[in-house]
Amino acid sequence: MLEDFEKYLSKYVELTPEEFSTLSSLVEIRNYDKRLRLIDIGEEEQYLNFIVKGLVRKYFYKGRNEIITQIAKEGDVINSSVSFLSGAPSTYVVETIEPTTFISVSKHSIDKLYTLDTKWQRAGRLITTDLLMQKEYWELDRLKYTTKERFVRFLTTNGDLFQRVPQKYLASYLNIQPETFSRLKHFLRKKFAETNI
Amino acid sequence: MQQPIDINVYADFLFQFIQKFGKISREEFNQLIPYFQMRYYDKKTVMLQKGEVENYLSVVVKGLVRKFIRVRGNEITLQLATEGHMIQSEVSFHTRTPSDVILETLEPVALISMDYEGVQEALKKIPVAEQLGRLIVTYMFIKKDSRYYSQLKNSTRERFLEYMSMHPHMLQRVPQKILASYLNIKPETFSRLKHLVRPVKEK
Repeated sequence: MLEDFEKYLSKYVELTPEEFSTLSSLVEIRNYDKRLRLIDIGEEEQYLNFIVKGLVRKYFYKGRNEIITQIAKEGDVINSSVSFLSGAPSTYVVETIEPTTFISVSKHSIDKLYTLDTKWQRAGRLITTDLLMQKEYWELDRLKYTTKERFVRFLTTNGDLFQRVPQKYLASYLNIQPETFSRLKHFLRKKFAETNI
Repeated sequence: MQQPIDINVYADFLFQFIQKFGKISREEFNQLIPYFQMRYYDKKTVMLQKGEVENYLSVVVKGLVRKFIRVRGNEITLQLATEGHMIQSEVSFHTRTPSDVILETLEPVALISMDYEGVQEALKKIPVAEQLGRLIVTYMFIKKDSRYYSQLKNSTRERFLEYMSMHPHMLQRVPQKILASYLNIKPETFSRLKHLVRPVKEK
């Protein structure tokens, strides 16, 4: 289970076996059933969560509507990031879609790691930079591409999520009206059938 | 325009700026100084064109820079950076890929910048740099998230009032259609909302 997490971290820093075992002693394995909240609005985020197995979404409320800003699967990290980084109460809900197993590192543990070695500071910097890049891409994609293009891009890069994620969640995440989403799905299915005879 | 001024003239400004992110000593700060440089641009000058790779992280000392993207014939403003704000094409700088966004000055601008190589070298050689870098990126992440959050969550009127109360002078410094684009408000709606704020009297 920890190997996946080690692989994830190796994208950012090279850890010695000793360093990884220091980290391993600080992480918590957390299991959640489906449709459970890891954090609610107003709470302070204490964890950074790496997903070993399962599916999770992050959203906020606009009136009664849920606006989904992230859908995370195996190998992704998710938390209420601003609350985690700033200590402010969360304005987001993080909730499982499927039963999910997390490797979670608490804020307390991360602060402890930061005092041990500059390498952990480096990992923190690179991971946060990556999260910033994801945010930038998310914004630029929304501006650059039309609704149809966003739909096709998501389908080609995250085909597996189409099977796993309820359609209304995907529509919210891609900022596409549910009716438009259905229309695009049928349009593409037809197109796909035509080109693959 | 102006003659390049020694970075040391702005050392106190820069020291104050960096303290926002993390407490560092004057000694640690002095180690960083050689990595910074001043850059100057006239108004209405493109600092970074679409397709170029961003080579600098910059903080505005004086003036105003606009970040925007051209989409299907429209210019969408993404950031308006004034004194004390950081401005760069983040994705291009970090990923070393051609920039989607364009940086253009609206006023004559003085910047304190560190180039990509300088950043990499400072990270290697100066112990406090990793922590500082992490805190700066963290700060940028939080700022970015709150902008998206406000764009998605708040109504047009709320966005307008929130921005105008926090940045009352921008109405004088920035053309209306650019402000409207930044706040994602239609120009006609923006004109209508303007009566909600009284003009700020310059002293």
